[in-house]
Amino acid sequence: MQKEVLIADSLSVSFNHQTVLDEVSFSVAKGEVFALLGGNGAGKSTTLKTFLGTVSPHSGIAKVMGLNVTSEIDKIRAKVAYLPESVTLYGHLTGVENIQYFLALAQVNCTDADIEQALKRVALQQNAWHKKMSFYSKGMRQKTAIALALLRNAPVLFLDEPTSGLDPNAIDEFNQLIANLATEGTTVFMVTHDVYGACHIAHRIGLLDQGKIVGMFERGGQTNIDTEAVHAAFSARNRP
Amino acid sequence: MSIFSNFSREAKFLFKQKHLWAFYAVVVCLSAFAVYSGISEANHQQATIERLLEKEAIDRENVIAKQKDYGSAAYYTFHLTYSEPSAMAFAAMGQRDIYPWKHRIRMLALEGQIYETDADNPELSFLGRFDFAFLVSILLPLFVILLLHDLRASERSAGRYDLLVVTAKNQHSLWLSRAVILSLSLAAALLIPFVVGAIVSQAPFADVVLMVLVVLAHLLFWMVISLVFVTSKKAIKQSSAQIASVLLSVWLLVTVLVPVVSDLVINKMVTGPSGGEIMLTQREAVNDAWDLPAEDTWTEFLKTHPQWQGKTTMDSPFFEWKWYYAFQQVGDQKASALATAYRDAIIKKDQLAGQFALLSPPMLTQRILSAIATTDTQAALVYQQQIRQFHKSLREFYYPLMFNKAEFSLETLKAQPQYSTYERAHKKHMENN
Ligand SMILES: Nc1ncnc2c1ncn2[C@@H]1O[C@H](COP(=O)(O)OP(=O)(O)OP(=O)(O)O)[C@@H](O)[C@H]1O
Ligand SMILES: [Mg+2]
Repeated sequence: MQKEVLIADSLSVSFNHQTVLDEVSFSVAKGEVFALLGGNGAGKSTTLKTFLGTVSPHSGIAKVMGLNVTSEIDKIRAKVAYLPESVTLYGHLTGVENIQYFLALAQVNCTDADIEQALKRVALQQNAWHKKMSFYSKGMRQKTAIALALLRNAPVLFLDEPTSGLDPNAIDEFNQLIANLATEGTTVFMVTHDVYGACHIAHRIGLLDQGKIVGMFERGGQTNIDTEAVHAAFSARNRP
Repeated sequence: MSIFSNFSREAKFLFKQKHLWAFYAVVVCLSAFAVYSGISEANHQQATIERLLEKEAIDRENVIAKQKDYGSAAYYTFHLTYSEPSAMAFAAMGQRDIYPWKHRIRMLALEGQIYETDADNPELSFLGRFDFAFLVSILLPLFVILLLHDLRASERSAGRYDLLVVTAKNQHSLWLSRAVILSLSLAAALLIPFVVGAIVSQAPFADVVLMVLVVLAHLLFWMVISLVFVTSKKAIKQSSAQIASVLLSVWLLVTVLVPVVSDLVINKMVTGPSGGEIMLTQREAVNDAWDLPAEDTWTEFLKTHPQWQGKTTMDSPFFEWKWYYAFQQVGDQKASALATAYRDAIIKKDQLAGQFALLSPPMLTQRILSAIATTDTQAALVYQQQIRQFHKSLREFYYPLMFNKAEFSLETLKAQPQYSTYERAHKKHMENN
């Protein structure tokens, strides 16, 4: 296995004395696509936010590219791109203006051509580029935010339910995009409850239930992870 | 990247919001209105002075022409005293709304004439006229709070906060540059009408610069307070409404509570006679003098005017002008202790108010603006002294004529003192050259 880019070591998080993550440990290698799968409220987003420093661990260690989230978060943030769970950008700006603004905020230099290319890659219809974002549909917002994440050119991508709101075509294109990025060496950490999607693109799937990793599934060579097995494990955990 | 690029990025970003433009337009209108009404009030006061002066010049000729002796000439001649609004008064009317800025006086006992229009003791009122000073000291903090309270909370409630924080190279410089852009725009909206007003009023450059600096300092204070609180760890879980209510409490505390309490405390600590008391004391002394033996009046009068010793004999046992003016003088002498106490109390109150103002930036701002515009308590007291000085010169003019029984001549009368201020004399001088 290659050098580990993400490390969670006995990571615990609690909100108001309620344990949300309980001694979670895993690691993600460079160029790997790792999907964290689990039901609602399992703690997926919390895990992701711990790596981004917007949630503080109660105990344990979280590292990104060897940098500790509790002490070196500013350095970490310069190396990651983040796609939030529910995308809201600025309604009073157009899609392009939003991207320009956030890139300026990150102090990333990008030409208009780069932005156009990224928007084409995520297949956002061209007539929407210069429309105010408040007129965008959920999927259009999602595509814009994905384009923004791509433009960051970050070595690590954190994606919280990236395909939610996307139509089947867009999902296919997105999956292709992620696969390409991974081959180029980008590390992808994504959170989802879409079993099939996860099996399709992930190299590895961690199953999270009530703050604990309860299963780990790995791709065998060129064959995708077995959807049936993951589904069975997922359903067993999430049956009422 | 430089601070400047942060600012230009945020400026471009913020000013794409239409509601901000609308807000600043309202502030410009308010400021323009405050400046406009200040200028028209100053013009009105100036015009009133000019009108009264013109009227007085005409009246004076008519009155003097009818006189046969100096006593009645002094009795019937009114003199307008005034304190002209400074070129900066339009921005801060200050104490000119509380203390009178014009008095028509005669050579009769003076203290009663000064306090006639002032029967109710002027209190240190705080919330006053809607002028530029009011806008800048009382309303400016509210504008800042309105603009900055949801700087961070609005991003949280919109669900953008995490993305912003993760994306921004430096989170603090993001909030700071937004706050600075919003505050600077507010300063521009407030100050542009003010500067136009200052040019129209031909205000001295240094005073204008000073006022601008005071406004910026006050703005900076509220920006820092808001920013520190808005971006504090404590405020991270609070809604914008909660943050706004905390900031508004601070505003209420320093804008309303501190002035009201300090007013109470000051009035408890310092007590002085009222203007009405002074007027009554002086009037009683004058009224009583009619029934007292003339000797009593002369004794009192000679205490302060020994040079007229031996010239107090009266031709008539019932009335003579020099005796009449002597007991007017004695009336002032009897009221003088009270007048001094009144003045001392006002000075003491003003000093204490100045100290309390250190607890209240809005109060402090208003005081400094009034001081720059020479519309403060100090200026009102200076004017009172100018009246006393002028009245004294009237007496010095008339006493020799009366006590030495000078031949009545209209020519002599024309040389009687005229009230003027340094500014007015200076202006005349410049016009003549
Ligand atoms: N800021 C917070 N304060 C308090 N509790 C929180 C906070 N964020 C998350 N939680 C709690 O932590 C638990 C896990 O939340 P999390 O958002 O990580 O779930 P998730 O796996 O992403 O779920 P979903 O699939 O619905 O997005 C939930 O019970 C949630 O109520
Ligand atoms: Mg989630």
